Amino acid sequence: MSSHAETIPPAPEERERLTRIQIDRSCRQTVVWYYASAVFWLLVGTVLALIASIKMHTPGFLADWEWLTFGRVRPAHLAAMIYGWGSMAGVGTLLWLQARLTRNRLPLPTLLPATAVIWNLTVTFGVIAILAGYSTSIEWIEIPPATAILFGFCIAVIIAASIRMFRSRESEHTYVSQWYLFGAIFWFPLLYVSAQIFLHTPAAAGAVKAAANWWFAHNVLGLWFTPIGLATVYYLIPKVIGRPVHSYHLSLLGFWTLAIFYNWAGTHHLIGGPLPAWLITVGIVGSVMMFVPVITVAVNHHMTMVGNFHHLKHSPTLRFVVYGAMCYTAVSFQGSLQSLRSVNEITHFTHYTIAHAHLGVYAFFTMVMFGAIYYVAPRLLNAEWHSAGWIRVHFWTTAAGMAIYWLGLTWAGWEQGRMMNDPRIPFLDIVKYTVPWLWSRSAAGVLMTVGHLAFAWLFWNMLRKRGAYLPGPTLLLRKGEPAAVAAGGGE
Amino acid sequence: MNRAWLLALGVFATIVASVTGLVLLPDRQLRGTQPVQDEERGIAVPAGYFGDAEEGRKVYMDLGCIYCHTQQVRPEGFGADIERGWGMRRSVARDYIHDEPPLMGTMRTGPDLMNIGARQPSEQWHYLHLYDPRITSPGSIMPPHRFLFEVRHSADGLPEDAVRLPDEFAEKKPAWIVPNDRARRLVAYLKSLDHNYEVPEAR
Amino acid sequence: MAAFYIALWGLAALLGATAIAALVWAIRRGEFDRLREASLSIFDEEEPVGEVTDRFPGQRF
Repeated sequence: MSSHAETIPPAPEERERLTRIQIDRSCRQTVVWYYASAVFWLLVGTVLALIASIKMHTPGFLADWEWLTFGRVRPAHLAAMIYGWGSMAGVGTLLWLQARLTRNRLPLPTLLPATAVIWNLTVTFGVIAILAGYSTSIEWIEIPPATAILFGFCIAVIIAASIRMFRSRESEHTYVSQWYLFGAIFWFPLLYVSAQIFLHTPAAAGAVKAAANWWFAHNVLGLWFTPIGLATVYYLIPKVIGRPVHSYHLSLLGFWTLAIFYNWAGTHHLIGGPLPAWLITVGIVGSVMMFVPVITVAVNHHMTMVGNFHHLKHSPTLRFVVYGAMCYTAVSFQGSLQSLRSVNEITHFTHYTIAHAHLGVYAFFTMVMFGAIYYVAPRLLNAEWHSAGWIRVHFWTTAAGMAIYWLGLTWAGWEQGRMMNDPRIPFLDIVKYTVPWLWSRSAAGVLMTVGHLAFAWLFWNMLRKRGAYLPGPTLLLRKGEPAAVAAGGGE
Repeated sequence: MNRAWLLALGVFATIVASVTGLVLLPDRQLRGTQPVQDEERGIAVPAGYFGDAEEGRKVYMDLGCIYCHTQQVRPEGFGADIERGWGMRRSVARDYIHDEPPLMGTMRTGPDLMNIGARQPSEQWHYLHLYDPRITSPGSIMPPHRFLFEVRHSADGLPEDAVRLPDEFAEKKPAWIVPNDRARRLVAYLKSLDHNYEVPEAR
Repeated sequence: MAAFYIALWGLAALLGATAIAALVWAIRRGEFDRLREASLSIFDEEEPVGEVTDRFPGQRF
């Protein structure tokens, strides 16, 4: 096994072109550690989700344990999913994509895997801290700041690795996914550090902290998760179906309009709230302008897929990624509409918003990450997924579960909001109305849990290499090529 | 789009722009907002949090009350917050000058609490409600917070703020609930939530 | 308050101008000329255009 020398990589013309197998092999340890961690946090977050969901319609459930009270379980669920599952699946995918796009080995072979360990520790401390009562009580950023500092170290290493790969990249062309990924890795630390400063120092005062809170929270969705998700979609759809992206011009437009408009949408979380009217209006304008990048991306992806939808039958990755990409369009349209005052008057403060949030973080981002892991893991581990049946179970339970979740809570939230705006309806009557719909959310949650367990089982077997070791396009071999070539991998 | 530095610059510029517009400029506008004199009560309002109320605010935060309760009254004509009796006027930025951080919340699984101190000043009600919300509010889905209390079955040596549990909610009768320190502080905080004073910007 | 609005509009104008300047600069430099090639850059001899690269396990091409 060759050593990974920590010298400046040779200029593109001088070195030999790495094979894809060599690139993938170099990613194995880091990306597999990130993916395995992500799957672990997916399961933890799912348990916390079920507990929280049951508590909402059956409040006596586990009620005597203070550390599991709803007000702690709910943010613990959010932290485990956002910083555990979502971010770690995202980082793993981000690193692999950049290695592929720059045609470089993944650098920093000691530091990068170490960041996976540190990230895990940080999320663990964070979740425990929240359950123990040390949450900051600021949504999306409940992990106490002293713990969260560790994220900074990890991101710094990830940025260093990304820059190194980019600077010694082979291609003259910078693929669209690379812009989105660069955006994500620079935006996230800027957001996180700024938020910590505004929220925990006098840099912002009183009500303005709420503006800072939602500038942060909304931008984590739009400038961390969305770019990683879109970068993945832009790479995997063309790669799986073997056709290039429909319009590269549109890609450029989509990226920069996202960068500009998404940033300004955050205050739509505070419509009707105690902040200056101009601030709220700016947020609404930014939110509505999001139609531009979203339609751009939707047209691009759709036109790339046109004539190729039959591949959905045969490719697990494509199913998850296309489901995710379509939900990106849906959730963004919904978001733009929700920011209009007339709609917001009804939907604000209701279960409608929760349905919307899950349409984004789950139906878009999580499903795209599932697709990415299905594509990447076999290429890193030189093994096949051990069961097509379990993959189908995973897809259908999560796809259907998410649909039931969204339908139930969207209806419940809309009615809840309508009734709340009618002062003749007693508040407890509204609560009573929502309870059956909260049960439907738990039912959807059980379906999704089955899917997650199936996925974890598949991933466990992938790690144990229980899948058939078959030559075929999944393993980057031509028919008839000896398997030994892949096993050697150029190392 | 091949220049890393151009990309990095653009990425940086977009975020600097938004943080300036959405955080720094509003902060400039609102910083230095002072309490106003409440003629009726003869004090400066908002008064801020002291003693048990200040500690109680931390209990509110650690138990995660913000995930079901808001603290922001929407303006007249936008929703029915005022008609529901959640406040005499809409909430304004001045109401939060002592709130570090503001606990505005985003969900109304339960009612808005901006003025709960004015609406429900009874300690007994709050203790019963926290112990088991269904005692005061049939059909409520708020979680019981029994861990904030001790249950006693004899009237001897009961502290003043002990509350008699209605028989149908007591496993062993008679029963009294005695709030622990966290419960006392939380209720002190809830009772301090009263923003029904007048402010010039919301006449 | 006037100073505040001047700052707000001034910032917006400055940002808009910067964006337009960057766009013009990029066009002049020819950044937009070879986009088709860029979209093809993820393919190569081993995984060329037209070849599907993902299957359910156990399925053949």
